[in-house]
Amino acid sequence: MTPLIRTEGLTKRFRGLLANDSIDFAVETGTVRCVIGPNGAGKTTLIAMISGHLAPTAGRIWFEDQNVTDLPVARRARLGIGRKFQTPTVFDNLTAYENLELAALGAGRAAAARSHRIAEVLELVRLSDQAWQTAAALSHGQRQWLEIGMLLANDARLLLLDEPTAGMTAEETHATGELVRELAQRLNLTTIIIEHDINFIRDLQAPVTVLHLGRVLVEGSFEEIARNDQVRDVYLGNA
Amino acid sequence: MSDQAATTRMGPSSPHALVWLSEPVLALVVFVLLALLPIFLPGYVIYILPQYMLFGLMAMSLVLMWGFAGMVSFGQAAFFALGAYTMGLVMKAGGPINPGYIGLLLAALVGGGIAGLVGYFLFSAGVRPTYFVLVTLALSIMMEQIAVSQSQITGGWNGMYIDRLSLTFGRFGAVSLYDDAPMYWFVLPIMAAIYFGLRALVRGRFGKVLAGIRENEDRLISLGFRTPLWKTAAFALSGALACFAGALYGTHASFVAPSLGGVLFSTEVVVWVAIGGRQSLLGGLLAGIGVASLSNFLSAITPQYWQLVLGVLFVVTVLFFRGGIAGVLGRLVERHAGGPRA
Amino acid sequence: MSTALSVLLDATLITLVLALASFGLAIIFGLIGVINMGHGAMLTLGAYFTWACMETGIPFVPAALLAALGVGLLGLALEHFVIRYFYDRPFDTLLLTWGFFLITTEIIKIVFGTDFRSVANPLRGGWDLGVIEIPIYRGAVAAFSLLVILATGLVLFRTGLGIKIRALIQNREMASLLGLNIGLTYKLVFAFGAFMAGLAGALLTPMMSIDPYIGNIYLVRAFFAVTVGGIGQILGGTLIGSFLIGGTETVFALFSSQALAQTIVFALAILVLRFRPAGVLAQR
Repeated sequence: MTPLIRTEGLTKRFRGLLANDSIDFAVETGTVRCVIGPNGAGKTTLIAMISGHLAPTAGRIWFEDQNVTDLPVARRARLGIGRKFQTPTVFDNLTAYENLELAALGAGRAAAARSHRIAEVLELVRLSDQAWQTAAALSHGQRQWLEIGMLLANDARLLLLDEPTAGMTAEETHATGELVRELAQRLNLTTIIIEHDINFIRDLQAPVTVLHLGRVLVEGSFEEIARNDQVRDVYLGNA
Repeated sequence: MSDQAATTRMGPSSPHALVWLSEPVLALVVFVLLALLPIFLPGYVIYILPQYMLFGLMAMSLVLMWGFAGMVSFGQAAFFALGAYTMGLVMKAGGPINPGYIGLLLAALVGGGIAGLVGYFLFSAGVRPTYFVLVTLALSIMMEQIAVSQSQITGGWNGMYIDRLSLTFGRFGAVSLYDDAPMYWFVLPIMAAIYFGLRALVRGRFGKVLAGIRENEDRLISLGFRTPLWKTAAFALSGALACFAGALYGTHASFVAPSLGGVLFSTEVVVWVAIGGRQSLLGGLLAGIGVASLSNFLSAITPQYWQLVLGVLFVVTVLFFRGGIAGVLGRLVERHAGGPRA
Repeated sequence: MSTALSVLLDATLITLVLALASFGLAIIFGLIGVINMGHGAMLTLGAYFTWACMETGIPFVPAALLAALGVGLLGLALEHFVIRYFYDRPFDTLLLTWGFFLITTEIIKIVFGTDFRSVANPLRGGWDLGVIEIPIYRGAVAAFSLLVILATGLVLFRTGLGIKIRALIQNREMASLLGLNIGLTYKLVFAFGAFMAGLAGALLTPMMSIDPYIGNIYLVRAFFAVTVGGIGQILGGTLIGSFLIGGTETVFALFSSQALAQTIVFALAILVLRFRPAGVLAQR
């Protein structure tokens, strides 16, 4: 089965800093992949190149066998690549409903289908009761869910989630894990998650890619990664 | 990052008894009152009011750009004057088909076309929003300079005289708009129609996308929207509207001069809209009519102090009352209706 | 031959005068990112203050300095009471400084009236170089402009203060960690920009008649000069930009009216900036 998203020798250099060094990375459709690594490993850079916000210095990106390397952000979004930014990026002064409405408009649905979809998504991300609150009034965790909801309403098929549980309570973190699993299993959505919360990653039971100094250090299941000496060294700063 | 106001009035309004205070109802009341005005007021008011109504249309074009799309334009008057000059030239040229109609149509097309071209040129390159403001300021200067320098066409500093248009209905005869009353009754319904049309537009998909651009354009791009196209559409529409209003103004005032398109007038429009409420079509419309009328009335008495007051009001609204008068009223209504979106 | 030289001379003089008039804007826009729409009003104020001082008998040079100081202080007040709360909102500073222009202009009209004023030329006559003649006063102002720009360059690049200011611009967060007083630095820069605008206005008075709107002629020109030159390049950018905007306008004005020349220059500037948004001198 061809992976939904695949990078080939993806490299990003910032005037002397090599943020991503020839990364070959692939994720199968309908799966979840965690990307971890110490700060500065190049995780967000990788995501940013996949979403189109950063242009690679070298390498290529394939989305469903289509070369998207040179496509602009909006075009990739229309193809189904959705990104949740590190800090929740929603329309603060609009209500949760209006946020989702814009996302649904972007997916190009007709009005009736739109309201149905918005109601669905509100249910999924547990914001049905907050539909009429402005995004600014929501809690930090709720804003993260809202942003994920926007990707869903936008018909994203690849969800790039950058630290979705940052700032969440334990209960919210658990719910987010359930949401991600549901998205993969029930809706066959593909999710790449950058995370630091070890418990969250463990509960997710998903394959992990470890980045270090801009390269893929090792990939495997959570147990394999947890036992891996190299990974431990990297996190403890011995590498 | 574009200009963001502190409040939005979008989305379904709360299901409440105070719906009779909603904007379109208020607008309807105002329009009906305006319609009844000629019965009670003297001739001069009926003569001059349509001009202010057209200023109000120009103000609405700015509300669209500023309040909804989040981009201040210091160039609306440039389009306004362009429309007046276009009308003047077309009326002079005459022709078999009613030049008045042609003038109006041409003005809308020219205004929309130029705004669309300039807009696309700038937005497709992703120029900074603050830079866009400067370009519109430059447009006002350029319009004034062109009007001054091409004096063979425009009459230069001396301005251009324009005939009043008359409404012809083919076989069904014609109505001259030379007198005050018929002209008044011509402009008022047009203004009302454009108000309601714009309102429907901004409450639909167009307005929602513009609001998204205003609130967080990057987020909107990441949702797949080709924002340069939407911004261009907004600017083209506002340019067409201002130009159309200007054409009507030209044929009403029967005269146009370069200063109509200059920086001072363009920035006056910004002041009106800031005070009336940048996110409210009705606020902008009424501010345009109201402030312009007051200015006319007071400039005979105390021009400097009035302009000073306006300047201070402008600064005060930018500092403390982003939503202008409309915003303040809206919040008052909400508070009495038991909180927003009950 | 002499015509070509005199055109070149004209262009140079105009470039340097425009550079002086734009310098305050370049400082504020380039260093602290504020679009000072009140720049023209500050120029105008400088002119009026100079006239007022001279009316009380003060000679030209001290009057000009006093005027510049006055405008600088006004700029400081504006920064302290209003602008400093809005540094992260460029649209608001744009509108607020525009409000400053509106209010200031009306106050000028009330206090000074709308009649034209004039200030006598302190350095009358021309410097005859045989082939061309340089009006002395204009030449002096142009030379002064060059001096100011070079002096500012020296301060910014060779002194401790200059390094601190540039560090602040490069990295605000870092600078505050290093103990630099951000607020004070911003005040200094804004006040200096206002001072320069006032000084430019003062120095321009002998060359034109004064009315409440003279500063505004320079507002958009200055903006284009600064942005076409390159916003980050305060010194070189201002000079190059002024040359491009001012000089080309002079050249075009030979073939058509002043008004049309300005229009064409603006149109060209818009075109250039669309393709090179960071300006001509920008680092890639």
